[in-house]
Amino acid sequence: MTKMAQLMQWVDERFPATKVWNEHIAEYYAPKNFNFWYFFGSLALLVLVNQILTGIWLTMNYTPSGEEAYRSVEFIMRDVDWGWLLRYMHSTGASAFFVVIYLHMFRGLIYGSFRKPRELVWLFGMIIFVLLMAEAFMGYLLPWGNMSYWGAQVIINLFSAVPYYGADITEWIRGDFIISGATLNRFFALHVVALPMALLLMVFLHLVALHKVGSNNPDGIEIKKYKDENGIPLDGIPFHPYYTVKDIVGVAGFLFIFCLIIFFAPEMNGFFLEPPNFTPADPLKTPAHIAPVWYFTPFYSVLRAVPDQQLGVIAMAASLIILFFLPWLDRSKVKSIRYKHWSFKLWLALFVVAFVILGYLGMKGPTPMRTLVAQIATVYYFAFFLLMPWWSRWGATKPVPERVTH
Amino acid sequence: MKKIIMILTACLSLSLTAAEEGLVLPHDKLPKLSGDALTISMQRGLQVYTNNCLGCHGLSFQRYNRTAKDLEISDEAMLENIIFSDAKIGDLMTNTMREKSAANWFGTAPPDLSLIARSRGTDWLYNYMRAFYQDESRPYGMNNSVFKDVGMPHVLETMQGIQTKTDKVKGLENTIEMAKADIAATRKLLEEGSTAEGLSEKIEKAQESIHVAEEELKTLSAAGEYFSLVKEGKLSPEEFNQSMADLVHFLDYVAEPIKRERQRLGIWVLLFILGFGCVAYLLKKEYWKDIH
Repeated sequence: MTKMAQLMQWVDERFPATKVWNEHIAEYYAPKNFNFWYFFGSLALLVLVNQILTGIWLTMNYTPSGEEAYRSVEFIMRDVDWGWLLRYMHSTGASAFFVVIYLHMFRGLIYGSFRKPRELVWLFGMIIFVLLMAEAFMGYLLPWGNMSYWGAQVIINLFSAVPYYGADITEWIRGDFIISGATLNRFFALHVVALPMALLLMVFLHLVALHKVGSNNPDGIEIKKYKDENGIPLDGIPFHPYYTVKDIVGVAGFLFIFCLIIFFAPEMNGFFLEPPNFTPADPLKTPAHIAPVWYFTPFYSVLRAVPDQQLGVIAMAASLIILFFLPWLDRSKVKSIRYKHWSFKLWLALFVVAFVILGYLGMKGPTPMRTLVAQIATVYYFAFFLLMPWWSRWGATKPVPERVTH
Repeated sequence: MKKIIMILTACLSLSLTAAEEGLVLPHDKLPKLSGDALTISMQRGLQVYTNNCLGCHGLSFQRYNRTAKDLEISDEAMLENIIFSDAKIGDLMTNTMREKSAANWFGTAPPDLSLIARSRGTDWLYNYMRAFYQDESRPYGMNNSVFKDVGMPHVLETMQGIQTKTDKVKGLENTIEMAKADIAATRKLLEEGSTAEGLSEKIEKAQESIHVAEEELKTLSAAGEYFSLVKEGKLSPEEFNQSMADLVHFLDYVAEPIKRERQRLGIWVLLFILGFGCVAYLLKKEYWKDIH
């Protein structure tokens, strides 16, 4: 036995290193027919690591106080070696995270990856999504620019819609009567400690649940049905090396776009870094037009589409909560869009259109016409989910193959 | 069905994409420069800034020596020609004006301009700097057509001279004001439930006339006929425009000192990723050749 093997044996007798490696990487059998849409899971992990690492280094120079926060960000941008790169990687990473996650969720939607037996994978994923929204929202306050300030003002005030206790709750969240250094400090604590830990835990559970049931695939069929004499799925290939080398190609493609933005358009024309955020937070100066960052705007549009504030908040919360129930709403006989009735494609296409329109309108100031369009899109958003148990059974499905098509 | 089609067309119609802010005039574009020409322009801009602006507007995130290095000025030249105070070369480019007194003098304290080019945009700045015009109703006798009723006096008067809106511009602006008042009044009638005929046509007509007048204003602005000089300054209009372009290029630099370096670096980063991607792809192909 070589020295290395001896060392490994010594470890394995005390810790299941080889066992875990095999179970989750080297002998985790994934369907061999993954396509483009399957890059976004590993990319989400990549962005998470990017956020954590750049976040750690940003924290080394950032000062979380109402007096110093804005200045310290500019200090990072100018006086810290490579500070500008860390900051742009982090700010672009925030938006990239949502791009990747939205596409990851869309993949689940088209191939039915949330269907039995993967309900928990979906639920854990949804918790990650909600945590990510909280993480992004709190991180956005930290540069202490004027849009940070007023954006937080708008979102925190949503909680005042809670009957009777509303005012107390918002005060409890802020830790002050207005958004102040106290708010900034607690958001900092949550952003750099509490939420990342919760996120990591949920990502861990998301993967454990996934590896228990195995990955879905573009055909939406179970590869575990046909196994060889060793119990290995006939249509499965080991995650490592096949998908590690494949995902690296995805990583290269992602990094190309990611770096294109970081180095040539870090503000992304005001979508990733909004112009008013280059003036310091000022409780007396409201920006001409307050809009949340692009990844929140679809839900923000739902909020504004409802004329009554209290009902609007409920509608917005409902638009998120309803996603949790997806595994029980889809009643189609098949999982994948490939074998579903054409009506599914129509419902889905309109859903994408409605979601994009909501996102677009959420960035714009309201006009009567825009509100009307947002209301129609909101109604469709809810109809898509609430009526799914009914329309997902429409029409004939195509015959599903026994083995994956590759 | 008809309704749905109407709504769908509405989705694409102008009412959704209409500009958020009103028309800002003049609305010229900052001339684009690159390479040495840009560096030289930034250097001249630094000079304009320290001579005319720094007294009131600090650049409190930016250091003298960083500016010197990035704009290819020696520390000695910087100390001799740019730093008038007893500041050291590594100091921040701040000033000693007290915020409270400043607020007293101008109504509001002059803001720090370190990041103004990022919050306002360079085109906006370029237009703003050239948009001071005579307006007797204001305390200093000057107003600004880009930033209405701004507290800042026309500091560059000796350079630019004094300009005023031409009669043609005043006439067009009157037309727009009146049309706007018309629209407001008609809208009010409609809201009150008036069923008189031709109300919506009236609004449309007024909107059309606003549109025509604004287009004409844009044409005038583009032709440099928005303002006319009533008192000449030390610089010709062309020289003044050039000087303001220099100033804005400098402010653009100050807002993000790393900008040119990151773009230079970005090319190499992208080339590396491209090469890395090719290798990764070939590796993937090699591994996957026996998967069928």
